Amino acid sequence: MAMKSVKNVNSVSGKGSLTEMWKKQSFREVNFWQVDHKVKNIFEVKGITIMSSPDAWRKFSWTRKFFGEKPKEGYFIWVKRETDFPLMTCITISSPKISQDLRNLLVIEKNIKAKANVICNAKEKFLCGKHLARGKVILKEGVFLEYNHIHKWGKKDNVFPDYEFTLEKGARLIYNYQNLFPPENLEFKTKIHSGERTSSNLNFIVNSLNSKTKIKDSVFLEGKNSQTVVRLRLVGRKRGQIEAVSQIFAKAPGKGHLDCQGLLVDKTAKISLIPQLVCQNKEAQITHEASIGKISEEELIYLATRGLSEKEAIDLIVSGFLKKIK
Amino acid sequence: MKEILLKIEKLKVKANGKEILKGVNLQIKRGEVQALLGPNASGKSTLAQVILGNPKYKITGGKILFNPASEKIRYGKREKELINITKFSPEKRVKFGLSLVWQSSPAIKGVRLSQLLEKISQRKIKIQEAEGLLEREINLGFSGGEKKISELLQAISLNPKLVIFDEIDSGLDIKRLESVSKIIRKELINKNVSILLITHWGQILNYLKPDLTNVILGGGIICKEKDYKKVLRTIKKYGYEKCKKCKLR
Repeated sequence: MAMKSVKNVNSVSGKGSLTEMWKKQSFREVNFWQVDHKVKNIFEVKGITIMSSPDAWRKFSWTRKFFGEKPKEGYFIWVKRETDFPLMTCITISSPKISQDLRNLLVIEKNIKAKANVICNAKEKFLCGKHLARGKVILKEGVFLEYNHIHKWGKKDNVFPDYEFTLEKGARLIYNYQNLFPPENLEFKTKIHSGERTSSNLNFIVNSLNSKTKIKDSVFLEGKNSQTVVRLRLVGRKRGQIEAVSQIFAKAPGKGHLDCQGLLVDKTAKISLIPQLVCQNKEAQITHEASIGKISEEELIYLATRGLSEKEAIDLIVSGFLKKIK
Repeated sequence: MKEILLKIEKLKVKANGKEILKGVNLQIKRGEVQALLGPNASGKSTLAQVILGNPKYKITGGKILFNPASEKIRYGKREKELINITKFSPEKRVKFGLSLVWQSSPAIKGVRLSQLLEKISQRKIKIQEAEGLLEREINLGFSGGEKKISELLQAISLNPKLVIFDEIDSGLDIKRLESVSKIIRKELINKNVSILLITHWGQILNYLKPDLTNVILGGGIICKEKDYKKVLRTIKKYGYEKCKKCKLR
């Protein structure tokens, strides 16, 4: 399948916030926007190369080692210069029974501070789409990246993201994932390779409502004095099933902590949570805490005596549960 | 003559298969301050929770009647406006104008008190004692006194017609008790809001001077007296166990 590319090269002085853009549904300023299989818009800025992955495969032979195989679709973003606004990508399913197979690559050059807002969504609730995304994010020496990954899917979609982050010496990563509307099936894998003196802070907020969700996140502390903190907040709503495996492998003398908490909101929900620590270095310090709880009847009654309906009370309690991570 | 706001008739309540309230009768008029005294396990808190509709308790007999209508509609139709609220949810009862200050309120982790207040009311109440609590998580790590202030602030914000205070005086020192009483008088009593003060020791009665004092024992109200001082003296002298033989009955 050939991809059609539309390229608008502009210079920009600033951008609206993610929330603003989301509210207005204005995607004009999205750096890379793909709808179904078509690249709808590329918004390139000075010092940042943005193109489709097949184009990058052809144009930059060095990207081939990251892609592995020739990509069919997806984006390539190469940040060579710092900007004072966030990068924004959006991959949308807008037609029925679309099956996306994306290979995304984000490379950030040395000592650059960047922020990326990455949105994957379905335009409607019942498109029965499939979204398979394999992504690699390369943070070169001294890079700082805040990566906000937001999912908003339809009720019958199947979604399979598989992302791998490589943190070179001294790089720092803040990764925030949130699924606002869960798909029917979500299988989500994240790997972090942490080099010397790197730090990563991973925050996952997962809602499961009439959906099956499998999450596996693995952090490999490979360089000396690398650090990580992983926080999972899992909310099991009506007929929501979540299986989460959160791992830290300490191969070098680093520090890591897993903080995994689940909240069962509905009696038909199920959460399975496995924190795993694998230590291969006697000087490494890795720890974990994990719990799954339910909303107490007393809290619900208490809030009912403040005039809140059960739904309002649950939403408030869940917002409090998730707040610790935001 | 003041209209009736709350009328409880022969109320019987069970919890976990055990009968706790055995035919309670109570009537509170608009703007009236009443007290309900009783020893531990006499049914005081159960009565408060049942009035607000806690589903943990099962009503096996009797009625809870309340007048939820607005001033204009109610005029001239006092008794007829009373409706049986036992079938209504707690949140509906709150909207009718009932409010409860909990004796032991649970913490809501991650939710600030100011967030809850914004959600439950458009009224902005300023209470100096509560200012340091607004940005803290509800009841989390609050001292006994702070919890009472937080509860009071929430109850006032709901713009109630009747507030039930479940042992607001327990665990308060004299200074805090005095300041809590002042707030209740200023924000509620002076605004014609009815009050039911549930208390074990009765200290707060000296500050709020109820119009009528009830004594509950063994799941039933055994005494109603206008002079709260007489009741306090009697209890102090004889204890609750001898209330049944009391001359005031």
